[in-house]
Amino acid sequence: MTNSVSIRAAKNEDLERMVDLVSRLKRLNGEFDPLLTPVDDLENEVTKYLQGMMKDSNSVVLVLEDGGKVQGVLTAKLVDRCFYKPRLVGQIADVYLMPEYRRRSMGYKLIAEAEKLLKSRGAEMIFAEFPAKNVIAEGFYRKMGFREITEIFAKETQ
Amino acid sequence: MSERTEKYYDMAISLSKFYGGKIQVIPKVPVRSLDDFSIWYTPGVAGVSNTIAKDPDKSFELTSRWNTIAIITNGTRVLGLGNIGPEAALPVMEGKAMIFKYLGGVDAFPLVVRAKTKEEVADVAERVSPAFGGINLEDIAQPDCFYLLDRLRETLDIPVWHDDQLGTAAATLAGLVNALKVVGKKLSDVKIVMFGAGAANIAGARLIMAAGGDPKKIILIDSKGALYSEREDMDKLQLVHPWKYELALKTNGEKVAGGLDEAIVGADVLIAASTPGPGVVKKEQVKKMAKDAIVFAEANPVPEIWPWEAKEAGARIVATGRSDFPNQINNSLVFPAVFRGTLDVRAKKILDEMVITAALELAKFAEERGLSEEYIIPTMEEWEVYPRVATAVGLKAIEMGLARIKLSKDEIYDRAYKMIRLSRDTLATLVKNNLISPVPAE
Repeated sequence: MTNSVSIRAAKNEDLERMVDLVSRLKRLNGEFDPLLTPVDDLENEVTKYLQGMMKDSNSVVLVLEDGGKVQGVLTAKLVDRCFYKPRLVGQIADVYLMPEYRRRSMGYKLIAEAEKLLKSRGAEMIFAEFPAKNVIAEGFYRKMGFREITEIFAKETQ
Repeated sequence: MSERTEKYYDMAISLSKFYGGKIQVIPKVPVRSLDDFSIWYTPGVAGVSNTIAKDPDKSFELTSRWNTIAIITNGTRVLGLGNIGPEAALPVMEGKAMIFKYLGGVDAFPLVVRAKTKEEVADVAERVSPAFGGINLEDIAQPDCFYLLDRLRETLDIPVWHDDQLGTAAATLAGLVNALKVVGKKLSDVKIVMFGAGAANIAGARLIMAAGGDPKKIILIDSKGALYSEREDMDKLQLVHPWKYELALKTNGEKVAGGLDEAIVGADVLIAASTPGPGVVKKEQVKKMAKDAIVFAEANPVPEIWPWEAKEAGARIVATGRSDFPNQINNSLVFPAVFRGTLDVRAKKILDEMVITAALELAKFAEERGLSEEYIIPTMEEWEVYPRVATAVGLKAIEMGLARIKLSKDEIYDRAYKMIRLSRDTLATLVKNNLISPVPAE
């Protein structure tokens, strides 16, 4: 299975499978915090979101394919931070690999490919956002040299 | 509840009151006069303490540690009763201790602990371990029980066992190995459906794979259906139940989705360790199995499917957890012997390889007596099986470099045989001399 794995830009025909994968990711996030509970029509929202990403010239949407089947997805976009240097940075929004493709360095390859593309479009830094309690994601990004720069705190309105 | 069960409930309550529990501590040394206290206690005992202080392993020679284990529970999953708390778990642990002594000659001490988290249970086990030659975890809910077995196997240098995982899994493997011999199939070829993904079947799947079963041909089914690598809740499992997650990745090569109806098609073996039946597994489902099907319905008190129903549906061999049907998959065949063997060589661990050795020896014992569709596993009455299994496990511990002392096969067997014999004879003598009262007439 390893030999046939490739990473490429997403195509329209990948959409259905990508919706499944990104929806799984959002549901996983819901396991970490009730304030990350997915909406009821999640698939519908994810479909619209991914369609928008794929049309947006400032976005990067990659898939990991094995034997003709999409087994991983990554989305990212260029962001202008306006107040800070470097201004132009790449935000990794979603990374999801099907369980059988984990712990085989494929996540690193996906990030590396996204980093290359974002850099070629002017990004001087990349960052990622994930649930505070997701220690698996934290370990994954730390291993690749990421570190924390901001924190997002939340509370429900009273 | 059946009338018979109710009768046993009543008897157990009144006799527990009559005897004041089921176990006691009796000195193992003579006391000729009170002067002997100077030997068994101060000042003499200080010499023993000094010796052990210089070499803690001497505690296995100079104290009862070599033959004493702790039965530890937090009472979170007691029998089929659920989370009833440590006090209510005590009568069960006392019963277990009694069986340990009677069948294995092992002094077992019931240690019910008030502990909320798995870390607290592990902490207790680690802190009391200097007093014991082994630890038997009992009736602890999953997935905490997997965490505890993994952690304590790592941190302790005495054998650690969780009977709901390893005892049942070993008895199941023993029965399976022999059932396959009877029907003339090979473990590596057969499709095995494991219905229920609790402690027994999760450990069972691990042992079956380690013994030569093909992971791709094993399908585990939990309350949400067949486990496979793409199931919707895989991410959640990775977080809360990594043991199940790993099995989902390894097993079910065809990625069969759905429930038992889908998974059982063409299966050679069904191992149900789920919820009490009857009717949990249906005749129509057994009918979909391959020729010469093997059905283990292990739920107690009522198997998932009655043995005659499974046979009517085409099963050639049926095993249950009950002693009133043929082929009882009984963990009491395993744990006394495994501890007897590991204690006699002062083993530092009980690893899966040793559990498989126990299962294969159990199977071999039955094979030597002549296998049939009605006899794939020994019964508790054949008590010579205990020293046999103890010997196999002890030798395996020595071979794996996990034993503190090295004994020959005959030495382990003789020791195990004598210890079990002595335990039975002692109890019989106490009863005969009226030091233990006879059971009062109703």
